[in-house]
Amino acid sequence: MTLKLLWAPLLLGAAVTVTLGVYANLHSPTGIAVNLAGFSGPMPAKAWLATACLALVLVQLVSALVMYGKLGIEAPSWIPALHRWSGRVAFLVAIPVAVHCLYALGFSSFDTRTLVHSLLGCLVFGVFTVKMLALPKHGLSGWVLPLLGGLVFVAFVGLWLTSSLWFFTTFGVKI
Amino acid sequence: MRRSPILTLVYGLVLAVGLFILSSVAVSKRVPSAAEPGRVAVPSTSPSPSSSPSPSPPPLAKVNAVWAGEVDGGGASIAISVKDGVAVAYLCDGKKTEVWLQGTAENGKLSLVSKKGTVLTGTFGGGKATGTISGSGQSWSFTIAVAAPPSGLYRSTANVRNAQVVCGWIRLANGRTVGICDNGGTPEAAPPLDTTRTSPIDPKAVT
Repeated sequence: MTLKLLWAPLLLGAAVTVTLGVYANLHSPTGIAVNLAGFSGPMPAKAWLATACLALVLVQLVSALVMYGKLGIEAPSWIPALHRWSGRVAFLVAIPVAVHCLYALGFSSFDTRTLVHSLLGCLVFGVFTVKMLALPKHGLSGWVLPLLGGLVFVAFVGLWLTSSLWFFTTFGVKI
Repeated sequence: MRRSPILTLVYGLVLAVGLFILSSVAVSKRVPSAAEPGRVAVPSTSPSPSSSPSPSPPPLAKVNAVWAGEVDGGGASIAISVKDGVAVAYLCDGKKTEVWLQGTAENGKLSLVSKKGTVLTGTFGGGKATGTISGSGQSWSFTIAVAAPPSGLYRSTANVRNAQVVCGWIRLANGRTVGICDNGGTPEAAPPLDTTRTSPIDPKAVT
């Protein structure tokens, strides 16, 4: 039953991941892309957007744990709405960062950090697509959504560690 | 309600497409010289002597210059050497990060790219070169001054046990030198620069 419901989301998610990876490899990086006002350059802008996204992703984790009763507290009625909206905003905040990566920098295997980052970047949007397409399905096994959500969380934390944290520790915390 | 996750994906896709379009507009505005690789400078009848860099070249004159300095923030050094408009740039932190870039310096504009797709764009004139380098998830900006010998950019290549070892050094105006040797793909700190044995780079001879 679960597999029957999930094959289409899985296929589409895989298509997203593969498309991103192929595009990032084939498109020759331009070095520049549309810039965000208020920051000294594209790199600090990305590092801070990704950090904002990380904060929202942590809200995602906690609100999901509350909804599944894992924190031992009764879920307040606003928790599902918080989970949905923090997720939507996190996704939209991540888009400009990803576009800059894909358009200006491209897939990179220059060192372990950039390789891991490139792979996770392609993966995270694929898994997110699966999660979104799986959400409205009725009759999924109970472990499906926590697993997909957990994968998005782990992939995103990995992305943040290999980009923003690296940026802040290498160049200092600057705007 | 059941449609809202799909709407989330659609909005994300629309935003991404919009940003791609804006980015391609930004690129077409910012780097006209890179978009016209076939463009060739008209040979100057009296080429400026290679020993005296021309800080503000007249239009269409072939550029000969060397600039060297540190990137903004001091995390790495960069040198750019130009001969008859053919440019080579080297970014190096003396530890493990190094990038060789090749391209052109024409009409006050720098346009270089590395083999792995790192891009340098910038401008020069008035004894300075300024620009940005980005690629591999990293980016640097710089404003560097004309370098007088012996400061400048040095490179040596050698074959050691079937592996090609390429070393690059940047000698700064204050006498400090940073360098890295790439030993078949592994970067390591370069030996001290011996200017009696290693010559300043010839941008036109770099392959």
